[in-house]
Amino acid sequence: MTGSLTIARRELMSYLRTPVGWVVMALYLLLSGFFIAFGTLQPGEPASMRGFFGVSQWLLLIVAPAISMKLLADEKRSGTMESLMTSPVSDWQIAIGKYLGAVFFLLCMIAPTLLYVGLLELLADPDYGPIVAGYLVLVLVGMVYLSVGLLASTLTESQIVALLATLFFFLILEVVSVRGGGLVGEPYDRAFYAMSIQLRIADTAKGIIDSAHIVFLGAICVFFVVLSAVTLEVRRWR
Amino acid sequence: MISVRHVHKSFGQVQAVRGVDFEIEPGQVVGILGPNGAGKTTTIRMMTGAIPPSRGSISVDGLDSISQTIGVRRRIGYLPESAPAYREMRTLEFLRFRAGLFGLRGRRRGAAIEKAIGLCQLEEVRKRRVGQLSKGYRQRVGLASVLLHDPKVLILDEPTNGLDPAQIASARSLIRHLAGERTMIVVSHILPEVEKSCDRIILFAGGKVRADGPPESLITALPGAGRYTVEAKQDSPDGRSAEEVLRTVRGVRSIESSDAGDGWVRCLLGFEVEDDDHREGIARHAQAAGLTVRELRAQTPTLEDVYLRLVAYADDHDAQKRAEQTRRQQDDAA
Repeated sequence: MTGSLTIARRELMSYLRTPVGWVVMALYLLLSGFFIAFGTLQPGEPASMRGFFGVSQWLLLIVAPAISMKLLADEKRSGTMESLMTSPVSDWQIAIGKYLGAVFFLLCMIAPTLLYVGLLELLADPDYGPIVAGYLVLVLVGMVYLSVGLLASTLTESQIVALLATLFFFLILEVVSVRGGGLVGEPYDRAFYAMSIQLRIADTAKGIIDSAHIVFLGAICVFFVVLSAVTLEVRRWR
Repeated sequence: MISVRHVHKSFGQVQAVRGVDFEIEPGQVVGILGPNGAGKTTTIRMMTGAIPPSRGSISVDGLDSISQTIGVRRRIGYLPESAPAYREMRTLEFLRFRAGLFGLRGRRRGAAIEKAIGLCQLEEVRKRRVGQLSKGYRQRVGLASVLLHDPKVLILDEPTNGLDPAQIASARSLIRHLAGERTMIVVSHILPEVEKSCDRIILFAGGKVRADGPPESLITALPGAGRYTVEAKQDSPDGRSAEEVLRTVRGVRSIESSDAGDGWVRCLLGFEVEDDDHREGIARHAQAAGLTVRELRAQTPTLEDVYLRLVAYADDHDAQKRAEQTRRQQDDAA
């Protein structure tokens, strides 16, 4: 585990040391702040972060692949992968460490948005239940995007390819799951619904924390991180 | 210390390494030579546990490179070609990160970093970003990063590649200093460097080991060692040509002559017995025939001669085998 944490710490620092990390963070905070300023913090609007979470989850669909694209693709491109692969850490530790580093950065990026909650508290009397649920799901959804991004990054040396692969994966998934539902009838509609991340998020935005959704999102993260570690191992043997 | 046994490695249809076999004793300094695509880097990567062999086995300090790969990696300090490092990190941060990967913590980590910094003379650049360093310094940072865990085996892939002459001299003296303490493998294209600093040379070509031994024995074993260059007047006083005179020197096996201009000719003499010094015999013979000689020199083969000869032999051999294989396939088809 210490090997993973060492890699995670380096990964987090690399985001904070390179322009890409700051640009991604600034983009997310700017767009979400814009929505808070001109959407939520308006006279007559309810004291809720629901709109912010809705927008944030879509923003993360673009921002998270931009975070994850460099995880392993950049190591391969720059040649540092060779040093990492000959260090006394397993492929699992590498995959977990890389993933944790990206998740830590995601948390750093989302953390400043707690300021919006503070502003809401100053101006009104918000209900904290949906806010806590919203943040929990926001982080989980971000983690899902990052886990798929990690896998994409293990498969290519090109950061752009990793970014586009992750982005299109989720866009296609949403199109199929949202548009596919209702077209073919039961039991396929339920299967399409089960695949959709956005539909599950919509439930949570109402303030309902369904443990099935949490387990589903957590399981996706574990699945893709495991798949990334297995991919790294397989690539050694090829 | 290192045992490589019947190792093969294929990438799809491409056979990168074909039955490589050698052992390296503790404390040896071994140079690995070979043209591009000879299989040397693939063999090194298998030794470091980065990739497994398709067939055969490799052990380092008694540990198997596949089943005990983490243990193997703890015993090896491997500096890949071009010494890759994270450009955005400062030297000290990068060394801390690398020490962390090798499980060094607290005081042990601090002491290891300071020792490596001192050894590689990085005091001046310890707080500078790796991306801002010169190539020479980056190479040293890379070297420091593989010394942190005090490895029993040090493997350096093209350690002086891309450095300027001053940087090469500095890197070379550092490598020589490090060689005294541990088993070292240096992969290089720079033959004089390997010849000077290594006890033993393993020459790769076409995925196989073509020669293995101390540099001197490889050179003396080269067919054609013990040749002599004689520059003499075209004709002797008795009317014979210089080539005709020199052909009659006792023990001469072959003679090749070429025009050296202004009535002079350059002859290259090969002898049946290569170990003896034939200069005196040649001089006496030429003097007896009245042949005017302006140069008599024993040709000393270099490691480069060995390298070129063995690589050319490997290419010919492989081409013959391929042709033979094609012919058999055609016969079978017929």
